[in-house]
Amino acid sequence: MSLNLSRPRMLAFSLPALLAILPFLGACFYIFRFSISGEKGVIDGFSIQPYLDLMTPFFGRSVWVTFKLAFISSVIVMFLAVPLAFLLATLKSVMARRILTVSILLPMILNLLVQAYGWIILLGPTGVLNTSLREFGIIDRPLFLLFNETGVLLGLIQTSLPLAVFPIVSSVRAISREHLEAASSLGAGHWRTFYDVTLPLLRPGLVGAGSIIFAFNASAFAIPLLLGGRRVQMMGVAIRDMISPLFNWSGAAAAGMILIALTLGVLLFANWLLNRTSDKKGA
Amino acid sequence: MTTQNTHLHIKGVTKNFGDMRALNDIDLKVERGSFVCLLGPSGCGKTTLLRIIAGFEKANSGQLLLDGVDIAQMPPHKRGFGMVFQSLALFPHMSVADNIAYGLKLRGVKAKQRRDRVDELLNVIELPSIADRPVSALSGGQRQRVAIARALAIQPKLFLLDEPLSALDAKLRDNMQIELRQLQRKFGVTTVLVTHDQTEAMMLADDLVVMKDGEIRQSGSPATVYNQPVDMFVADFLGAANIIKAKSSSAGNISLLGVETHRKTNLSPGLEFDVAVRAEHIDLLATDPTTVHPTGTVEFMRNLGPSIEWIIAVRGEKLRVRSNASNPSNLEVGQNVDVSINADTLSVFRNE
Amino acid sequence: MRVGLLPTHGGGSYRLVMIFLAILGILISTLPVIIVTIMSFSAADTSSFPPTEFSFRWYGDVVDMFMTEDGSSAQSVVSSVQTSIIVAAIVMVLSTAVCIPLAYALARGDRKIRTGMELLFTLPLVFPLVILGIAFLLIAESLRLEIGIWRIVIPHLALVLPFVLRNCIGAMNGISVELEEAAISLGAPPLRAIWDIVIPLMKAGILAGLIFALIISFYEFTITFFMYTIDVNTLPIWMYSRTVSSLDPSTLALSVFIIAADVVLIVLVDKLIAGRANLF
Repeated sequence: MSLNLSRPRMLAFSLPALLAILPFLGACFYIFRFSISGEKGVIDGFSIQPYLDLMTPFFGRSVWVTFKLAFISSVIVMFLAVPLAFLLATLKSVMARRILTVSILLPMILNLLVQAYGWIILLGPTGVLNTSLREFGIIDRPLFLLFNETGVLLGLIQTSLPLAVFPIVSSVRAISREHLEAASSLGAGHWRTFYDVTLPLLRPGLVGAGSIIFAFNASAFAIPLLLGGRRVQMMGVAIRDMISPLFNWSGAAAAGMILIALTLGVLLFANWLLNRTSDKKGA
Repeated sequence: MTTQNTHLHIKGVTKNFGDMRALNDIDLKVERGSFVCLLGPSGCGKTTLLRIIAGFEKANSGQLLLDGVDIAQMPPHKRGFGMVFQSLALFPHMSVADNIAYGLKLRGVKAKQRRDRVDELLNVIELPSIADRPVSALSGGQRQRVAIARALAIQPKLFLLDEPLSALDAKLRDNMQIELRQLQRKFGVTTVLVTHDQTEAMMLADDLVVMKDGEIRQSGSPATVYNQPVDMFVADFLGAANIIKAKSSSAGNISLLGVETHRKTNLSPGLEFDVAVRAEHIDLLATDPTTVHPTGTVEFMRNLGPSIEWIIAVRGEKLRVRSNASNPSNLEVGQNVDVSINADTLSVFRNE
Repeated sequence: MRVGLLPTHGGGSYRLVMIFLAILGILISTLPVIIVTIMSFSAADTSSFPPTEFSFRWYGDVVDMFMTEDGSSAQSVVSSVQTSIIVAAIVMVLSTAVCIPLAYALARGDRKIRTGMELLFTLPLVFPLVILGIAFLLIAESLRLEIGIWRIVIPHLALVLPFVLRNCIGAMNGISVELEEAAISLGAPPLRAIWDIVIPLMKAGILAGLIFALIISFYEFTITFFMYTIDVNTLPIWMYSRTVSSLDPSTLALSVFIIAADVVLIVLVDKLIAGRANLF
């Protein structure tokens, strides 16, 4: 606490990292500046036209799809992540824990293309699932599970699962066995203990993880690009299309600002929700 | 004493943390080769004072004279004081030998000599065979000794210890206190130790400095501070003292428990004040109506092993009494006893 | 072990539901990887599953790809792998070098500044990658920057900073100030104390950060998708361009190599932080 780190020295220590993040901050500012540019292709003058031009049913649908998929995937991810975190936290064997860690973490860092192949082989029109279902005579025509919203949802869940599991594991570790034993000694069953003790104790971790997942999935690009075909126009893909075929730079920038606002809004809302409930508890 | 014998002179040191005054105008002289204990409850500023001596905190005002030279502005790594921390702060990534030799390495001592010095110190702390062990493999007492050896290895001008024994269990702590005292004598190093444990302070110190709220309440030899506390706080903090209401009689004598003693007081007659008397300075006698001793009732008793403690209710006061040579050991709860206090052992405080 | 998050026996429906969800989660995570691995050993050209015959022919193709390709082809796999490695190495070293002093400053400095800085360095984590990609592209194009691989290194650097910093801060948290003070009291100047005591104790966290940076940079797709040029492209971009239209089993074989490397790296990270630090 009082190995007195003088201000100048602290600044000197922080400077390299600040320099490293400077281009990022520059990029953030640049996008904002472009979004209020008077011209579509260069930064010139000020105008809110780029934002007004976005008020189309097409873009509205894109915002809706983005919000919907990000929300559903966050909810499903939380349902899967909590039991996985419990499992990871209770596993005694180092080997088992390591295997589980690898299998959860792999999808996030592994090349998305590789996984897309995997899904295509599994769920594509001529994939494993459809072939076997047809052989058993359950369906006549193949189910379309990929290149639509279902496929994108699956991909989003898979890639964001580790982002949820590991923070929850650290919250789970903070729950002492005594808490659970106290509940059970008072006669609470497993579900009751889960609702009354575990869940409330985990809430800050869950809300935090959930909002990060939402932000992460709302701004997804590679997944809808690879698994959504052209049909699922999540905002990331829509923004790319504004640039690549249309060269509408200022429009893309404005759409980007809206996407940032959406994710930031959800993050702040989650934070507010958390502060409000913990304040109430403290009172 | 002459100034020649003053090794460290803390002069008018004041320290603020924001609005809070942690130390207020501290004056303290530390004799060469002496063992000084800073004693006080948590938050009294004792650790802050030690850290100012070590150089990890800077005083807002005042001087720190080491052999007459002000070192207040000297950075801590140039002071050459050996320090033992509360957490011991042994370097976990180094072996025992590397820990002890670290200060020597910084001073450019050659590897061979470093090794010799480490062996010498390990012999002194009676752990000759642990040089190559990692510190994580040591027991509590061993870690303690290694931390002390590391601080002494650099032949420090001052030896500073911040509650070094507080993490040990009672028995081990007792042994370490004896060892620490012996080591300090052997090296003859001027030592300042911070503690909140009065037994430890009494046992180790040549000079005891009792602190409260950033000020020194009393300093002196342990016997002086124990037997002649200057105020109620010191009396109370140094072991079980009874605080009793007393009065100055018309003859100018101290009167307590309804009995006038022969001890004179210069307080004006009729004035009420407090006196302190130690639990072991109270004698219990068989009741005898012919004496002036006040009579009380044994309310509670407990056997502490080497001694027995009673609570005696007498004339509206509850006295804590500890067994001494003259106290009978066969008292029972509910029994009446006479209480006798030697007026010379009383400490008298003005009622504030 | 009667009571627990996951009861080992008893527990009725609670245990069943929890186990079912956990298994579902594991399946969603691992199925594609397993399928890809199996398919890479298929002898057939088609993507029918399960394969009827097994062979190493696609692995042979991968080896050929690396051995025979003439260096003149700018889109060659060799050059993109090289670029990927160089970019990842630079990003890894730079990000760690800047994060160690920052983590130290944050752990030892003002608490208020610390909260603000942590927030600032979390931003790249939640900032939409597409927008970042576009922004960096815009800047690079409008300023007409000719900076070679740095057009990929700079955005990657921003991207890995949150991960590396978190690992470094996690490592710093366990190092008590008293250790440093002990070194200083023994005569070490403050910077020497950091070098002798703090850095060695941060080692595990630093290594974990290094590996994180390596993994993230090596597989980054979105930003690179906007930033790559004919001269500067990375392995993920190469794989995308090669298979965007059709599925080539040799790419699957290549993927298996990547999977194997990933498994090794993750186990290494897991070992380094040994369950005491947070991965994110």
